[in-house]
Amino acid sequence: MKTFFLISFAVFTSMILNAQDNLKDITAPTSPASSVLGIESSTVLTPKSYQALETALYSNFLNEDGSVIIPNDFALEFTPYWTKNHGLSLEEYLYPKSLVDQLIRSSSFSLASTQNFLLGDSTKTNGIAFGYRATFFIGNKNDRKTITKYRDKLAANQLALARIGAEAELLVLKDHINNKSDFIKGIENTITSAIKSYVKDISQDDAEKYTKEIFEDVNQLPELNKDNPDSFLDSLYRIVDSNIDTTDVFEKFKSYINKRQGFSLDVAYGILFNFPTNNFEFSYGPRQSFWLTPTYRFKDEWSKLKAMAVLRYEWYNTDYYKRYFPDATVYENNFSYGIAIAGEFKKFTLQFEYVGRSSNSETPTGAFVNGKETYTKDTYSDIQYSGTFSYRLSDQLVISYSLGKQFEPIMNPENTLISLLSLNYGFGSPTKENLKK
Amino acid sequence: MRKTYRYRNLSFAITDEEEAKFTVEFISDGNEGQTVINIPGDKDPEIDDEGTVSLGKGKDLRSDTTISFSDMSNALPEEDEIRIRYKINNRTIKEHVNKKSVEDKPIIILFIKFPKS
Repeated sequence: MKTFFLISFAVFTSMILNAQDNLKDITAPTSPASSVLGIESSTVLTPKSYQALETALYSNFLNEDGSVIIPNDFALEFTPYWTKNHGLSLEEYLYPKSLVDQLIRSSSFSLASTQNFLLGDSTKTNGIAFGYRATFFIGNKNDRKTITKYRDKLAANQLALARIGAEAELLVLKDHINNKSDFIKGIENTITSAIKSYVKDISQDDAEKYTKEIFEDVNQLPELNKDNPDSFLDSLYRIVDSNIDTTDVFEKFKSYINKRQGFSLDVAYGILFNFPTNNFEFSYGPRQSFWLTPTYRFKDEWSKLKAMAVLRYEWYNTDYYKRYFPDATVYENNFSYGIAIAGEFKKFTLQFEYVGRSSNSETPTGAFVNGKETYTKDTYSDIQYSGTFSYRLSDQLVISYSLGKQFEPIMNPENTLISLLSLNYGFGSPTKENLKK
Repeated sequence: MRKTYRYRNLSFAITDEEEAKFTVEFISDGNEGQTVINIPGDKDPEIDDEGTVSLGKGKDLRSDTTISFSDMSNALPEEDEIRIRYKINNRTIKEHVNKKSVEDKPIIILFIKFPKS
């Protein structure tokens, strides 16, 4: 084995130092269709209605004389459930009654196509792929507790502002309110009472402090214009919101919804069709992929941790690959599997991952005298594992070190040690995702 | 800065003895919010998310403009608009709609007069 040591400087968006499959590569993709087709479209159409879907398909797949074409660099993702309003409450959304509800709500269909699907001899052909994806989530007590805390706090803040606003909007219409001083006198009791009565998780002392700060800020506002009081009132609402942290609570709540504690399962499938002669009536289905990704996000003090397992099965049409990619070694059945645990702790990021792959093909070799067919079975398997430690030196500078074993390289199969030190510099705040190799 | 949507000059004709029932109905998915309706007198009704409350009889609503103040939000990632219907006695007086890309926690204010029918 040879050890290699590398210090790299790279813009953090595209650092590919170790191009073997890692866990991210085999995780269920957002668009299974694009994944099996092997394209990354610059734009993905996401029609929000059946009419928009129809328009997207007609305008891209039909040319001027009405004949069907395969559009180039085309990607579309469509989630039927969200094309119309259901009056679904947030409660129903967060806690669906059944897995069927989750299946219906999360089912999304993807479509991708290209005119540049390259065969083994670099011939450009048309390729089109279809995909499906669904996500299931099972929360836990801590998830419910966290969500309840956010929703209660948000509802209390909203009620406090609604109380103040309903009074303020009427007050400025009154004849006896002529200036800011009159207004403050008129709204004082309402603000004090709303903050004390409704804002949650604060002491009486804090309520008085918040109220005092609100009045200090309101006093700094420009004079109330009775003929056009809207900007004055909007400023009042902004001051109240800012003092009771409504925006902050809402942003944290939104962020939490995207990363809930608990178990989730992503299921995805993609199938590729290729037209090797660019004749629409002659096609192959050379590849199909199926992904299963269970993920668990930990709770409370471990909430920065995420554990993930991945299983991907890919089927390749070996006849197709022998004919159009004669130099490639392709197996019919391909399993990839991996587990990872990742965590972010202030400036540190740690990730451990293990990825394995196993492939096999059965080739008919003839038949016994009794007519039963005989086969030879080719198999291949390999593993890769690594640990990565990253430390954020500044907002734009991250240093990371990876140690482990990679898949056997084709050119030098004994060189499997991963020992990689990298310094990552970017015009933004790098994340652990940017550090993946 | 949060966006405020004010709908002025709304009117609902009602007889003296008829009871006005005010409804907030969520049309789009995942809305949450609180509504306070400032009516003449001390007891302003409140609506938690959506529902219907009584504003009282027509004759008691004429002395002042009735103001409905809603502090709304929508945290649902898949929803791209906020659509809320306001009704009095089952008749729509205003349907508010805004794109979440413009504002995902809008303040919606209705100014309603109750003339004699």
